[in-house]
Amino acid sequence: MLGWAGAILNIDLTSRTAWREDLSAELLHAYLGGRGLGVRLMRCFHTLDPFDPAMPLIFAAGPLCGTPAPTAARLTVVSRSPLTGTIYDCSAGGRFAWRLKGAGVDALRLSGRSETPVALVVTADGVEFVDVPELWGRTVPETVAALSGRGSVAAIGPAGENGVLFANIMMGEGNSVGRGGLGAVMGAKGLKAVVVNGDIPVAVADRERFDRARQDVMRLFRASPVIFGELGIAEYGTPALVDLMRQRRMAPTENFRHTVFEGSANYSGPAIRSAYQAKKDGCYGCPIQCKKSTPRGEHLPEYETVSHFGALNGIASLDAIVKSNTLCNELGMDTISAAATLSAWGEVRGRFPGGEEVQRLLADTAFRREDGELLSLGSRRAARALGRPELSMEVKGLELPAYDPRGAYGMALAYCTSNRGGCHLRAYPISHEILRKPVATDRFSFSGKARIIAIAEDTNAAIDSLVACKFSFFGATLEEYAELLSAATGIEYTPQSLKEIGRRICLTERFYNCANGFDVKDDCLPARFFAEPGSSGEGVDIPPIDRARFDEELQKYYRIRGLTPAGTFADPDFLLTQP
Amino acid sequence: MRDQVSVYTNKLIADRSALAQGIAIAAQDDVLIAEGAPDLARLAGDVLSRLTCLGMVVACPSLPFADFLVARAPAGESCIVPHDTETRTFLHDIPFLRRSDLGADPAPLIARLLGSRKGVVVEGVGIVATGALTVEQAYINYSSVFHSTFVKYLQDVLHHGFILPGEAEAFAAFRSQWLRPLTHEGLAFRPGPLAERDEILDEIATVGRYTVERGLVDSFFGNISYRAGEVIYISQTAASLDSLAGCIDPVPTDNSSTFGITASSELLAHRRIYEATGAATILHGHPKFAVIMSMECAEEGCAITDCWKECDRVRFLGDTPVVAGEIGAGGLARRVPPAIAGPRKAVVYGHGVFTVGETDFADAFRAMVAVENWCRREYFRRLEERLG
Repeated sequence: MLGWAGAILNIDLTSRTAWREDLSAELLHAYLGGRGLGVRLMRCFHTLDPFDPAMPLIFAAGPLCGTPAPTAARLTVVSRSPLTGTIYDCSAGGRFAWRLKGAGVDALRLSGRSETPVALVVTADGVEFVDVPELWGRTVPETVAALSGRGSVAAIGPAGENGVLFANIMMGEGNSVGRGGLGAVMGAKGLKAVVVNGDIPVAVADRERFDRARQDVMRLFRASPVIFGELGIAEYGTPALVDLMRQRRMAPTENFRHTVFEGSANYSGPAIRSAYQAKKDGCYGCPIQCKKSTPRGEHLPEYETVSHFGALNGIASLDAIVKSNTLCNELGMDTISAAATLSAWGEVRGRFPGGEEVQRLLADTAFRREDGELLSLGSRRAARALGRPELSMEVKGLELPAYDPRGAYGMALAYCTSNRGGCHLRAYPISHEILRKPVATDRFSFSGKARIIAIAEDTNAAIDSLVACKFSFFGATLEEYAELLSAATGIEYTPQSLKEIGRRICLTERFYNCANGFDVKDDCLPARFFAEPGSSGEGVDIPPIDRARFDEELQKYYRIRGLTPAGTFADPDFLLTQP
Repeated sequence: MRDQVSVYTNKLIADRSALAQGIAIAAQDDVLIAEGAPDLARLAGDVLSRLTCLGMVVACPSLPFADFLVARAPAGESCIVPHDTETRTFLHDIPFLRRSDLGADPAPLIARLLGSRKGVVVEGVGIVATGALTVEQAYINYSSVFHSTFVKYLQDVLHHGFILPGEAEAFAAFRSQWLRPLTHEGLAFRPGPLAERDEILDEIATVGRYTVERGLVDSFFGNISYRAGEVIYISQTAASLDSLAGCIDPVPTDNSSTFGITASSELLAHRRIYEATGAATILHGHPKFAVIMSMECAEEGCAITDCWKECDRVRFLGDTPVVAGEIGAGGLARRVPPAIAGPRKAVVYGHGVFTVGETDFADAFRAMVAVENWCRREYFRRLEERLG
């Protein structure tokens, strides 16, 4: 088999046993890898409690990992989110995926629970269980430093150990498996870290065809202002979006009460570059290098992080924002959910936290002490406990990122249809509603958006299964990536066949969620967005979203997806019809 | 979506890329809409319903060049490979179906080809193009294929002459009836320098519209900018030149803001051209004859094969320099500024024309018209020379 290793490594942490298992070609061809493969492997486990020892935590690479395909040295981690209760996946870069594939497997499936803190070391020769009681309680950088001599590290920090519901798994190179709390799932298994160190090369079926497709991708990257433009993410990282969101008047401010923050220029891309002498950084082998770090190697925050530790909490200090980001990385916590939970909590108590207070609260959250005990549960549970559930700005329990839905109606719909909750990365309509890629759409119109969102969800599910970075698709398209995949594997894929695979994955996820009680009631934005306007001005009007029109489009989405008006499956045997 | 169907049907008629009675557009939201010429509309609906796409254009081009390319293609070939920049970058190649391939129901076959590409040529039917997310995208892809096949066919005729029965007659009709005199006469330009922001935005939109109305460029092929002090006002990426209202970014020249991340991919080229020329306006478009002639190089025995990006020579079309260079972050932004500084106009290999104006758009527009007219005349001169 070319492209794939054709095997999964199963690890039972309870018995400390490991065994390899073949993965059939049919399964791999039908689900690709990454998100798709992980979701398929959850079929018999998706109704388990996220902290049940039998709940798998799956690390899955893709068929392009290990090849020189641009931005494809990534993997996806899949399980069920303790924050949202939904099926959950998140992709991350770094070197880990490459080293995992180099160990001769497409995926790791971890289950069970170790009685004492343990780390795994995976190589092509086997698995070593390493007792690490001395690392329990240590930060992510301390843990990575202790283990990096053995390979590429994925670790949790105190937040994951203590069950913070938005704890991350952090990659040693600074990337994170974020948002849904899979760090807490890992912590519940007593697993402090996974180290991988394989170097088996990945063969390519047709090198000439592969190189041609790679050149096509690079040409499109160079033609994309968002990627390699002089104001694009290769130059400024994702904070390049700060000025744009300010101009579009859709920067969530003070828990989404407003959509413009006058201090946002303090943490724009140019401001960060100037203040920290930011240099390019990024995932292994990636030509874009969108991440930025200081000359000392400290990772600088992404767009969503600067905006939420900034505008969402009314903080204009770049220094305070960078410190908050670093603290979250060290403690192993998601920056979006952490900042959004603090913001909701701030509105409930009538005062948003200042910069230094945020840092104290973040530490308290990771260790679940004092106010941090409540904050560690995320905004939905915290706001409910405080008697103000309407002030939690989330969908399905996942806090909304830094794109106000009143400023982009496709985004509003996509937040709700997302199978993992309030996430911008599923359909990613910011790409066309704001960044004009691959074509511009009217951000203040629902027309056609149900179909657009469904198509984009399918497309992105395929991308997440390759596993490629979504930023590639500000330039390239599935045409070029289907060529890369066909050339790498020797199996003919087309954009259409990839989108059909993506659809299968999206529907499988939705089926899992429905089995856990999710339906139309969960596909809705907080009431604020239907009742309160954003910050109009400068010729841009930001009214509340028309609820009737939103509901109409959501019903269209259900019809396009073949679902019932309740957003559920008419066929209870849907999964049995899938490979 | 019906309004979108109507808008792009009218655009296909207005830009004369399709026959008015041979246009169908389909779109699918929760239901399928297919409107236009009945047979084509049926086909558009049948094809689109097999694809994960929102929009589709099926139209009979106003020129028979795509069909001629198919008929001229050797047996066994299944795609056309034009070498202009737009095709190389965004389409790669254009698959085709011969009339003999179609059978009673061509929809599944067409859908299969469109599962891999943005547009295909179906002999005897026309150009079929998809829009993954919008009807506009389908229109753009149709227009791209029309442009590419136009360029490719005229190049082939120049190199190999007429081969098929009826070709010469059709080409003569194209030259005498489809082509129209290209002129700037009758257009009103605001005299510069322009100081007010609203005035600048309105003038950019107006001149953008002129380029399309006069047939200099197809709707979305190009970009346009105005420099006022420390700000460059430039059309956004993927913006239609005939519909620029609300699609112009003011970009500070000191990069103090990244708001212009949505600006044209040629922002860097425009910035460097302003630095090299001291001009106030830049007009960039892809007039077809300039694209064709820029790829006609007489150099023999040259070792360079990727001429479009690797050639470091400056050639001339009349008094207009031609340079190589990739779009966006490629070499175009490096090679055009020194070439354009003296003559105030330049052509990029396989790509299009850049012209500048000192205080307003009048000079830039006139220069682009002149370049394209020179290239048109030169094309036919060389063709006549070849045909004897």
